[in-house]
This record gives sequence, structure tokens and C-alpha cells, in this order.
Amino acid sequence: MAIRENILTSATARDKYIQGVKLLKNEFTGPTTADLGIPGTSQPVSTYDLFVVWHHVAMTTFTPPSQSDRNAAHRGPVFLPWHRFMLLQLEMNLQRVLGNDTTFGLPYWDWAQDGELSPARQGRAAIWGRSYMGGSGAPVATGPFAFNSADPNSWRVRITASVNGQLIQVNRGLRRQLGAAVQGLPGPNRLPRKAHTAAALNQPVYDVAPWKTSSDGFRNLIEGWQDDPEIPSPSLHNRVHVFIGGDMSPSTSPNDPVFYLNHCNVDRVWESWMRPVPAGHGRAYTYDSLNV
Amino acid sequence: MSDKNPIERPTVNSIDSYVKKHASHVGETQGHQHPTSETIREADYEGHHIVIRTTYQIEVDGKPVTGHMGVTDDGKVHYHPVPNISFASALDMVKQLINIFPDDFNHIADKSTVAEEHATPAHEGHATTARARAKRTSTGRRVKKTHTDH
Repeated sequence: MAIRENILTSATARDKYIQGVKLLKNEFTGPTTADLGIPGTSQPVSTYDLFVVWHHVAMTTFTPPSQSDRNAAHRGPVFLPWHRFMLLQLEMNLQRVLGNDTTFGLPYWDWAQDGELSPARQGRAAIWGRSYMGGSGAPVATGPFAFNSADPNSWRVRITASVNGQLIQVNRGLRRQLGAAVQGLPGPNRLPRKAHTAAALNQPVYDVAPWKTSSDGFRNLIEGWQDDPEIPSPSLHNRVHVFIGGDMSPSTSPNDPVFYLNHCNVDRVWESWMRPVPAGHGRAYTYDSLNV
Repeated sequence: MSDKNPIERPTVNSIDSYVKKHASHVGETQGHQHPTSETIREADYEGHHIVIRTTYQIEVDGKPVTGHMGVTDDGKVHYHPVPNISFASALDMVKQLINIFPDDFNHIADKSTVAEEHATPAHEGHATTARARAKRTSTGRRVKKTHTDH
């Protein structure tokens, strides 16, 4: 059985994750950019980059097409289950390339823990160290995903989105702007805090009408749209994307391996929320009741 | 627990065949261009039906920005290629797009700089009549120019 652990406390999970995503980044199973209608010279698309494309396509698909708020993965009730499915698919692919290691579980990053640091220290937290995810930069120059123009095997962003929302081919290093100022965002650009996670866990319902970014409930708070006076939007999950910036900003945000550490933590909070009362708000089934 | 639904683990072959089967969906989204973005918000209040149509048409240095933009019920604007943040101001949103997508604006910025350096004051004044526009002064300080500058 796979156990998902805190990346800051499990060196084994950290090292396997870094090794696994690099293997997927350099695994080419057949699909090409031409197959996917991405302009430019046809190039093979790695398994890792297929996840980038998948996320982008879901984000650009309105559900239903008669409205322009919800998409197939965000801004509505599907946000949590869609990303859980994505995490499971990535996790199984990582297990495969790690030698069918079914004990490997995706690690999570408890960003609210780092959110307790002063804003000035958040961009220098352990997660951004050379042994973990590396730091800020355009391109990122430290850690396992640092760019080296002379090394074709260094981490490269190969497919990203243009400002107009089209997938395009590039060949460059990963970009992050940890804690950089955001236009129109008051105050420092900082991570969510433990009190914010606790507020989400205290939400009594999962989601409510109109089932989008103006909804009350757990989903809209943990996704980061709900404008609670104490937790102004963007918050929680969204705030993590905004804090990291760079390649975590567009629809192709899975380009940054931190994407999965963020979503694994979101999934962990959701799992906690679903625990049976009194600890959580979910429903539990007995073993017999599942035997249908 | 029942094993009626065993986990189907991915293989190299299953990834290849799945992607090729669904590749047309990617092609469909590649065609999404929105020279103008219209949002329709509707609500019922005191027996009345409210419809608000909002249309945005964005240009940066004369070039259209054509990703889909929407307006949420609380009046904030969001831009789909940047899925994790909404803005109270459309101007702030576009400024942030320039920060997030530097490669899309670098060549435009270069041309803009040249154009501004060679613009006559009179011509520049007409170009900024209808919109707030940031321009660089001789000291390098950025100021906002509006029609009141005439």
C-alpha cells in the first residue's frame, strides 16, 4: 500500500518523487505535438508533458458550454475529484517508472506550515532548498529542476500556453517568482496560513448552488475563490499558485513539479474534511455495505 | 472488499493509445480565439429578471489579446489562461498578463519603446485621449497619462 508523506520529513519520498518525475519527463511513448495540433515542428511529447496538456485542455473546456465560469476541472464541485483522479494517474505512472514500486506515494507539501513564517522568509523555506524543489528564478537555477542550457537532460519546459490560451512549443528552463508582487493584490504575496486551512475544514457543506466561484462551502474555500473577510481571494490552493508565480500561473501549471505537491496537500485536506464526524464532515460506509 | 473494478494501471502502450484517441479534444481547444469576450450574467429579483451583458476587447500596444475573459457574479474579471486569480480591475489583470507571459510581449515592448521615443507630443496626445496610458518620462519615472493631460 502507498503512503503519502510530507516531503519535508520523508527523504525517501522526496528522492523517489524527483527521480520519478524526471523519468516521466524523458519518457516518450509515441504521441507527438503534431498529433495534438500544437503548432511548430513535430516533436515527441513526454508522459510528464501529457499531464500538462491534459490539465490545460480541462481548463479550457467550459462545463456546460453555455456558461463561462466553471470548466472541466476548476471553479466548481469537480475541482477536488478531478484533481484526485489526476494525482492517482500520475502516482501510478511514477510507480511504473520507479520499477513498479507500488509502495511509492506522492508526497505533499504542507504549505500552511510555511505560511506561518514571515512573508520575507516564505520564499526561503526548506521546500525551496537545493535538496528539495530548488528556488526562485527565470530560469530556476538551483535544485533538481535547475536549467542548464548545455545539458539537454536538465529540466525543460517544452509545452506551455500563450497569453491567448493556445498551447505552444518552447525549450527553456522552469520559471518561478516566489512571493513576487501581483498587480491589484493588496499586501505581501504570501502563502496560506494554518488558520485558513482550519477555516476550510470547519465548512459544514461541500458545495452549494450556484456551484461556481460565488458559492459557499468547503470546495470553493479550499480552491481559493471564496471571499471570506478573513481570507480574501485568492486563497488556499489558488494562493499557492499565485505565490509561486512563473510557470505555476498559466493553465499549464503542471510544468512545475511543485504543482503535484500543492494538489496532494489539497487532497489531504479534502480527505481530512471527509472523515466521519466528529473529526470530519464526510460519510463512512461499513465494510459489509460496500459488498454489493 | 470486492474486486469487481480492479485498478487499470497505465502502461506505455495504454498512454499512447489513450492520447491518440482523445487528441482531437486538444485540437478543438487550440482554436479558441476571442477577439471580444462577452459575459452574460442573469438573476431574478423581486419578480424581475436581470440580464447584464459585459463585453471586453483587450489590446496591448495595438495587438489584440484573445484569450477568454469573463466576469463573475461579484463583478471581478478573470482570464481563463490564468486560472487561479480574479481581479477587481481589468487594467490590473492585463498588467499581470504582461508579467506572466513576458515572451508574448517582449517584441511588442521593444517596438513600443522605439515608437514612444520617436512619437511627437501632439501625436502621442491623440493616442491617449480615450484611455489611461502609462508612459515613461525623461527621468524614467512612470506616470499615468489621461485626457486631462491635454
